[in-house]
Amino acid sequence: MNWVLSTALLGSVCFAAAADTPEERFETKVRPILAKNCFACHTASKMGGLALTSRESVLAGGKSGPAVVSGKPDESRLILAVRQGDAVIKAMPMTGKLKPDEIAALEEWVRDGAVWPASAKVQAATGQITPEQRAFWSFQPVRKGTPPAVANSEWSRQPVDQFIYAKLRERGLQPAPRAARATWLRRVTFDLTGLPPTPEETDAYLNDKSSQAEAKVVDRLLASPRYGERWARHWLDVARYSDDRLESQKELPHPNAFRYRDWVIAAFNNDMPYSEFVLGQIAADLLPEPQRTKLLPGLTFYGLSPEQQDERVDATTRGFLGLTVACAQCHDHKFDPIPQTDFYALQGVFNSTVVDEVPLAPEAEVAAWKAHKKRLDDKEAELRSFQDEQAMIVAAMLAAQTKDYVAAVAGTRNPDGLDPETLKRWREYLDLAKQHDHPYLDNPRDGEKLQTTVLALLAEKKEIDQKNLIRLGGSDARGDLSGTELLSLDRAKYRFYNELFGARKSVLHFAGKDLDRWLGALHLRHLAALRAGAEELKKTLPPQYPFLHAVKDSDKPKNANLLIRGSRDNPGAEVPRRFVSILSPAAPKPYTQGSGRLELARAIASIENPLTPRVMVNRIWQHHFGQGIVRTPSNFGQLGERPTHPELLDYLAARFVESGWSVKAIHREIVLSRAYASAWARSAANEEKDAANLYLWRANRQRLDVETMRDALLAAGGNLEQAGGGPPLRLTDDKNFRRTVYGYRSRRKLDGTLALFDHPNPNTTNEQRNVTNVPLQRLYFLNNPFVMRQGAALAARLNGPTDEARIRQAYRLLFARQPDAAELRAGLAFLKSEKDAWPRYAQALLASNEFLYVD
Amino acid sequence: MITRRNLLKTIGAGFPMTAFAQMSANPAAPRQPHFTPRAKHVIFLFLNGGPSQVDTFDPKPALQKFHGKPMPTPNLKSERKTGNLLGSPFTFKKYGQSGIEVSEIFPEIGSVIDDFCVIRSMHTERPNHEPSLLLTNCGQRLPGHPSMGSWITYGLGTENQNLPGFVVLCPGLPVLGPILWTSAYLPGLFQGTYIPNNEKEIDKLLPNLRNGRYSAAEQTAQLGLLQKLNRRQMEREGADPQLEAGIQSMEVAFRMQTEAADAFDITREPEKVRASYGDGDFARGCLMAARLVERGVRMVQVYYGDDQPWDSHDDILDHRRLARTADKPIAALIRDLKQRGLLKETIVVVTGEFGRTPATEVSGLVKVQNGRDHNNHGYSSLVAGGGFRGGMTYGATDDFGFQAVENPVDVHDLHATMLHQLGLDHKRLTYRYSGRDFRLTDVHGNLIQAIIES
Repeated sequence: MNWVLSTALLGSVCFAAAADTPEERFETKVRPILAKNCFACHTASKMGGLALTSRESVLAGGKSGPAVVSGKPDESRLILAVRQGDAVIKAMPMTGKLKPDEIAALEEWVRDGAVWPASAKVQAATGQITPEQRAFWSFQPVRKGTPPAVANSEWSRQPVDQFIYAKLRERGLQPAPRAARATWLRRVTFDLTGLPPTPEETDAYLNDKSSQAEAKVVDRLLASPRYGERWARHWLDVARYSDDRLESQKELPHPNAFRYRDWVIAAFNNDMPYSEFVLGQIAADLLPEPQRTKLLPGLTFYGLSPEQQDERVDATTRGFLGLTVACAQCHDHKFDPIPQTDFYALQGVFNSTVVDEVPLAPEAEVAAWKAHKKRLDDKEAELRSFQDEQAMIVAAMLAAQTKDYVAAVAGTRNPDGLDPETLKRWREYLDLAKQHDHPYLDNPRDGEKLQTTVLALLAEKKEIDQKNLIRLGGSDARGDLSGTELLSLDRAKYRFYNELFGARKSVLHFAGKDLDRWLGALHLRHLAALRAGAEELKKTLPPQYPFLHAVKDSDKPKNANLLIRGSRDNPGAEVPRRFVSILSPAAPKPYTQGSGRLELARAIASIENPLTPRVMVNRIWQHHFGQGIVRTPSNFGQLGERPTHPELLDYLAARFVESGWSVKAIHREIVLSRAYASAWARSAANEEKDAANLYLWRANRQRLDVETMRDALLAAGGNLEQAGGGPPLRLTDDKNFRRTVYGYRSRRKLDGTLALFDHPNPNTTNEQRNVTNVPLQRLYFLNNPFVMRQGAALAARLNGPTDEARIRQAYRLLFARQPDAAELRAGLAFLKSEKDAWPRYAQALLASNEFLYVD
Repeated sequence: MITRRNLLKTIGAGFPMTAFAQMSANPAAPRQPHFTPRAKHVIFLFLNGGPSQVDTFDPKPALQKFHGKPMPTPNLKSERKTGNLLGSPFTFKKYGQSGIEVSEIFPEIGSVIDDFCVIRSMHTERPNHEPSLLLTNCGQRLPGHPSMGSWITYGLGTENQNLPGFVVLCPGLPVLGPILWTSAYLPGLFQGTYIPNNEKEIDKLLPNLRNGRYSAAEQTAQLGLLQKLNRRQMEREGADPQLEAGIQSMEVAFRMQTEAADAFDITREPEKVRASYGDGDFARGCLMAARLVERGVRMVQVYYGDDQPWDSHDDILDHRRLARTADKPIAALIRDLKQRGLLKETIVVVTGEFGRTPATEVSGLVKVQNGRDHNNHGYSSLVAGGGFRGGMTYGATDDFGFQAVENPVDVHDLHATMLHQLGLDHKRLTYRYSGRDFRLTDVHGNLIQAIIES
């Protein structure tokens, strides 16, 4: 008895210590689960109408019904949602599945009556960053760890290989053998320069048996101007580079955008430190000389999107930091520690930034051009206004002859002395009017009456226009005065007026050259002088001076107001301009210098910032391997992917900063590794464990992107123009043999070939290109005139003595290898039996998979 | 792990020699919807520019009564300043068994009105073309999101692998241009294939469709060589789904040359059919849409015209001229689809991006006195076929036709309902991009049960 009692007591004591009452169980077991996984969306912002803030709100549930049926876990939507097995109820939380014991705790809580103490009502906390959130991997300082020891001589020479190999071992994956040397050369040449190796380069490398052969190739490629042309393009995707802006009805080119493109190319070629590259694009205008002038073209990063502040926040935070701050426009970020205030803090910075045209010519030249342009505009306006006045005078005079014309149309008057063209127009008009009820033409034979009506109409319109002009303050331009009460003609009169006097196809209106014949000698002389003047000014107007699409601080920088739920009609408190909270060691300090752009730029380019180097080395990695170590390159947050090789990522990020932010240093780390040299190969065992090749047990076979594809077609034809830079050329231009990076990029209408081969839409920042494989792309290879011309050009440059020799030449040019016997046979057979065979054979090679893919 | 992104890198096009697993990896292949669909296709007739509801499908006697007088109720915000009320210059008449009133400028549509559900309570967010065009097409106000056609082909694939799944017909370009049929972050194969249907020559309709130089026999020989070389590569290096997909894709491209040319060639229709549609680009577009849907194309969008023809700021009487070339083709399309047995499975939508103000526009331009400004507060859309209930009106605007007051329908609601008819739950049709699930209806959209057949 005693024993029983004491055990029971003991048990109860222990139990109390853990969680005695349902209230305590809620606090210790249930609430932490809800707080960690559910509160972000189901407190203040009530996603799906569901607020998990009190017992009542839980029982009431959301749009689709009660979240909890007290005592019945199997009927409670909340439980079904976290079990993630229901066909209809959405699996929760979105960040992954809860652990079994967490699900069990929630089930127990529901079974026990879903107790939620009234005192424990959840207040929606905003802007709070929890220690768990702060502990998220990507916000931790970069740690350069020691590469793991590797007992494989092939994989132990470089840190990159040690990290990769250790993971392969850990996962039980067997690395593919080294690729053939020629394959490696083709791969690294395409990767670094976007072009295939020439036969000479292939020979030089294959004959170089020294241990430094690869390093020499890499040095050569990195020193080539072609390198910058290739790698700038990767950044231009992120920077949503375009040569025009998205306009509604017409193309509106950014005539100097190319200066930014060329600056990015030069930055890569010169291995500009990435920190400087960042500073330049965000705040070059605020830097001291000589940095300022050197980096100023970078500001086009913002100069290209003049009116969309939220887009600027998005491009800045995703592009440089891998953070989706723009998701916090309407509410605190649902998954990442980004309070809504962060968005408005940055928006304040960009609201205080305005576009600025920075001329690159002497002041006098700029002033002279502007003055000339103004003279031209004025002269053209004078010409137009004179013509409009004269046209009106002519129309009024003709109106005063209405009865004569009407009579002539009716056949009751001889047309002598009347203008044949005007008569023709009256005839057509009166015929047309007969077909419909016309309020003023019921009796067109009564010319007298009609003339009176027309003249009265003209007078009335003139009076109304004059009165309206006075009401509008003397200008008929749209503007602030548009609210003025205006007078108008009665609708039927308005209609009639337009038919007779309207500028567009009316009976009595004569314009342009048609007007000239009505004018007397004096008027004609004046008109000729105006025309000649405008013409001369137009002819002598020099091309506009060069300038940069830059930005500068506004005169009065000011903070933005938070918009509650993102609604402009519901402004909240003012938010000081400052940096993102999670990346600030303590509470972020408000910016004090102008817009704060320079402070922002320095915070992003700081060696203390763990995201900036990680995000950039990951982008570099992605373009070498086809996938990043983090496979969401612009999202290093909760919903982004986790790094497959976190230590490797940190090693590279640390190396990046140590090397003085040298992009080329990172290329060398990567492309000289054994991992980079692996072959593409099949392996059933590996594919079973890692079909997506996350751990890089083999090379990824990659389709050429559109730039590389077109450039390779040009290289094949031997007509690729090396010169680059300067204003963009259209890719549809038959004479355009320059590299594709120099082709026109449009936000309004992306070039057809670019769009067909997955070039990103340059309206938003892009992290990774899609790779699609659709028949329309193959039609391009079958029938596009450019491809056919390149096939012919390739055929024409093969100059071997026999068909076989030429086939061999073609394979060396295109694939850096010799054809095998079967390929040779197939080629020879085709060449023998077909007419016009060589261009068609060459085109077939260009259309082959081997041409389009790099192993 | 096989992700959808990986799958999208490969495509098998339904060839007998392809392994079955490979075929299922074709992202353009027809896919099971979420539930049994009522419709399989969409024809979206876009009267771009903003047709006026009070002059077309939403008669307002009070507007006639108060013509020329200030609006007694408070004025709502539109793009520009508006003045006094402007009665419609057109008369309305009851049509069909349903007796739905339609404006005199649309007598032909009147004759098929029993097939249409007339939604009179549409509304959208902004009185400007650009955001409204984006909302109507892409479900979002800002550019950079996938269009409805892209979402639908992403969700359902398409039935005919020899034709694009989503086709956009427009003589010239509408305001904003190709961003209205972009696939944005969805894979590029789901973007709309733009066809300038004012072009008469097939080469200009679809680029790269014809080889100007070599005969079919010569091309066949060339293709034979090419595929031999492609196969040889895999013999040497091992089978690779990516390369295999390239081979299939090339075969399809080859066949497209004849099939696509046929689909877009409306001269192959009997004279009687062509005559029923009438003349003009829009008529040609409507007939092409019928032919394309018949061949399994998932969605066809037909823009009425270049730029924004229905934007009658200056003179609402322009609507009469515009209707002359819209009325007959729309009615003919409905009849023709019925004739071909396709109306039941094809949703036909007729709409603009918004409507127009019942009051006259007074924008500060001295010459403007008979037009209407943009109106996002209330407008009409028509939907036929695909399980939508014909011969009914739904919702209503206020006495003057300014604002949707009864059963307001947001453009997201229309999207959600269309997707529903296609067997897609708009909340489940998502795509993960940059760490977030996106969808056509964003965080909005309600199914409108009342306008669909149960």
